[in-house]
Amino acid sequence: MSILMLEEITKVYEGKVAHLAINQLSFEVEKGEFLAVMGPSGSGKTTLLNLISTIDRPTSGDMMINGLDPLLLKSNDLSLFRRRQLGFVFQDFNLLPALTVEENMVLPLTLDEQPVSVMKQKVNRIAEQLDLTSILEKRPFEISGGQAQRTAIGRALIHEPSIILADEPTGNLDSKAARDVLELLSNVNKKSNTTIIMVTHDPIAASYCDRVLFIKDGEYFNEIYKDDRRQTFFQRILNVLSLLGGNVNDLSTIRLS
Amino acid sequence: MTFQQFAYHNVVRNARVYAAFLLASIFSVLVFFVYSMLMFHPNIEDQFIQNIAFGGMFIAQVILIIFTLFFLFYSMSAFLQARSQEFGVLLNLGMDKRQLNRMIFLETMILGVISTAVGIFFGFSFSKFFLMVIREMFLLDSLPLYLSWKPFTLTILVFLSLYIIISFGSSIFIRKKNIIQLLKGYSKQNEHETYSKGRAILGLLLLLAAYSLVIFSLFNLKFYMSFIIIILAFVGTYLFYTDSILYLLGVIRKHKNLYWHSFRLIAFAEGSIKIRENAKMFFIVTVVSTIAFLSVGVVTSFTSFTAQYREMNPVSIFYSSNWDNPFEEEHVMKLSQELQKEGLSYELVKFTVKKQTSSNLRNQVNLIKESEVNSLAVALKIPLIDLKNGEAIIIPNSLEDYKGIRTEDEQTVLEESSIPIQIKGVYDRVIFPSLAIKDRSLIISDEDYELITEPLYGYGLRESSLTFYAYHVSEWLRTKDVGTDLDRIMTQSMGTSNVNPNSFYFSNPGLNYSIIQATFSLLLFTGLLVAAVLLLAAGSFVYFKLYTDLERDKKQYDVLRRMGVTDKELVKIVNRQLIPQFFLPWGLAMVHSTFSFMFLQAFWVDLAAVSIAMEMLLVLIAFTIIQVSYFFLIRWRYITHIY
Repeated sequence: MSILMLEEITKVYEGKVAHLAINQLSFEVEKGEFLAVMGPSGSGKTTLLNLISTIDRPTSGDMMINGLDPLLLKSNDLSLFRRRQLGFVFQDFNLLPALTVEENMVLPLTLDEQPVSVMKQKVNRIAEQLDLTSILEKRPFEISGGQAQRTAIGRALIHEPSIILADEPTGNLDSKAARDVLELLSNVNKKSNTTIIMVTHDPIAASYCDRVLFIKDGEYFNEIYKDDRRQTFFQRILNVLSLLGGNVNDLSTIRLS
Repeated sequence: MTFQQFAYHNVVRNARVYAAFLLASIFSVLVFFVYSMLMFHPNIEDQFIQNIAFGGMFIAQVILIIFTLFFLFYSMSAFLQARSQEFGVLLNLGMDKRQLNRMIFLETMILGVISTAVGIFFGFSFSKFFLMVIREMFLLDSLPLYLSWKPFTLTILVFLSLYIIISFGSSIFIRKKNIIQLLKGYSKQNEHETYSKGRAILGLLLLLAAYSLVIFSLFNLKFYMSFIIIILAFVGTYLFYTDSILYLLGVIRKHKNLYWHSFRLIAFAEGSIKIRENAKMFFIVTVVSTIAFLSVGVVTSFTSFTAQYREMNPVSIFYSSNWDNPFEEEHVMKLSQELQKEGLSYELVKFTVKKQTSSNLRNQVNLIKESEVNSLAVALKIPLIDLKNGEAIIIPNSLEDYKGIRTEDEQTVLEESSIPIQIKGVYDRVIFPSLAIKDRSLIISDEDYELITEPLYGYGLRESSLTFYAYHVSEWLRTKDVGTDLDRIMTQSMGTSNVNPNSFYFSNPGLNYSIIQATFSLLLFTGLLVAAVLLLAAGSFVYFKLYTDLERDKKQYDVLRRMGVTDKELVKIVNRQLIPQFFLPWGLAMVHSTFSFMFLQAFWVDLAAVSIAMEMLLVLIAFTIIQVSYFFLIRWRYITHIY
């Protein structure tokens, strides 16, 4: 069953020079899938993520998230929809600096006015899962990047959303912290069957996913599925990326799949 | 691009940041200039008014300079802090510190020159208006606009030196930091909360002590108490902002049931950061607002004093003469002439008062004719009296006296002339100045009055009488130039004592009132302008702080919106963040002023039996309305920026 379905989504930014950010893009994401979206700079990755986040509206096309069409919702309902259905992880963590690690994680629950006992229980479980128990009382400026990103993942997970949207979650991390975060995401994906859509530049990060979707200039370019070994999957991602980096004209002749 | 141009562009292109700051400094220059215009005005020749004006303006100027210095220094260093990244980049590109200092100096001086020039320009444009206001307040004949180099020079000198001090002072801030610190930017947000429980509790206790002392003073007023209260409240307020409030928030944050509730999480956490960042400013704003509320409140209370003053002194000009007064005719003639010269219409009632000894008081009493009192009553438009033969009414010497006199009927005999009279009560108004009459005065019927033919024991007939001249002038506020030389004799010979060595007594409530009014009006004028400068400055500071944090806040709100906070909820969060910044200092200032008013009230009751409760309520309401509209204005700007 697909949890996210995009059909012929087009996004045009109006302005002095109209800019076509996403052009007739269609794809589906299955429930429990871990999808990476890759593409060169300016390919429309972030726009795509914003559209799925429902904070931006497509110019044309249809979209279904968990059986609901967010385009039909009013802005207030849309907020409530995001609050319950979506979780976000950002490149620069975007933790609220005033709050402690624990408070940052319970934030989505407090917005939903859940009872404190439930919040405590959930935050403790998540903290244990993410190995944050020892730093719960710390403030964001006191912890490392990896810890900050794990906190952000905790915040995205705590209300058990249908989809987690991650925008370059490893972009600001060193390789060790990046690997931890990716393994964590992949574990969460497997254990709790959470759907994750991750936008990334990093082929290593993408190799943790079930499927990689490549877009270029806002259009579908290619997609590949993982195989048994991460190494070979990584290699194949690199191959596609090398094609992506080339000239558009060469690509049509040697298009794979 | 020359170095000067670079500095110039830095200022001009940051205009939006500097706008509120510039506005506040222009305004303070303007006010300073207006005060200077008045201080140097050639037409204020009257020694007395000049003294008050000069003294009041001088104090106001000094307060203004000190405050402006403080405000400029505080905002300049905040500006530089906000731009520290930019300075880091410049230093990184190879600018040396001397050049950087020169750039900051130039920028500050550009701001200084602009604000001084614009301030003086507007000050001069408005000075005609201000001089008119002052003329009305002092009831002066004319106070024309004049052109003199003095106010200009003073203002330019004072403010340019102020800016030079500031620009040297603020560059020290940069000098102390190294490039990496500057590049990283400066933010107190990434600091631990630094409050101590001891100081927090001390702050609360000091405030509590100050308030309790005020309440205690209501029952047992001691003047020296006010100093203790002021010091306690001052230190208490400071600690309240630096420690107590953070401590209280900390306590709440420990209780997750209270704290982990919808937006409280963000509001409390952000609130304590903002309070920590702005503690010193909040302190200043609180003190300043309290002073502003108070000065305006006290001055407003003067309006109720006017009514009471009139009631205490219904006769516009009063002159009483003993039998041995050689100047009687000369003085009365002169008074009438002066009134005519001023173009004031008047009614003169002459009282011939006879003295007798009262049998049950065993003392002298003054006897006043009913018809004479009635002719004054007609002039004053107060109810007439009607006495039968043998009846008398006591005239109270003052309002307190009126309350103190027993009102039962009393039988007495005027011993020398053996006339029995019955005292029927007390006249319900004060008509003669309390100092003019030494003995008890009674009004008796004309017939009884005619029967008094015998002089006081041991005196001649002429010696047992005195004469009162009561002038009623309907425009009593304009009599301040009448009888000034008599007034001088009275003040010189009596000083502050109640003993009158002269054979006559003179009082001109209009003159006294004009002095009191001038003093109070000046206080009001000075107080209002200084308060306006201070409030504007405080407001500009809040605006500036919001503006520098805008980028960070924007990002934060973006995250929250993604997380599913609705627009309505976002406004609620904004409210919860802005409200403390606006209403915390205001609230504390309100509490402070309420207690100060209570103290003042206790003081006033002793002084003049005036209640200022109504006035202070009005003042507090007015300030609240201003503050609320200011809040909505800033909130509107803030929300449009955020979306």
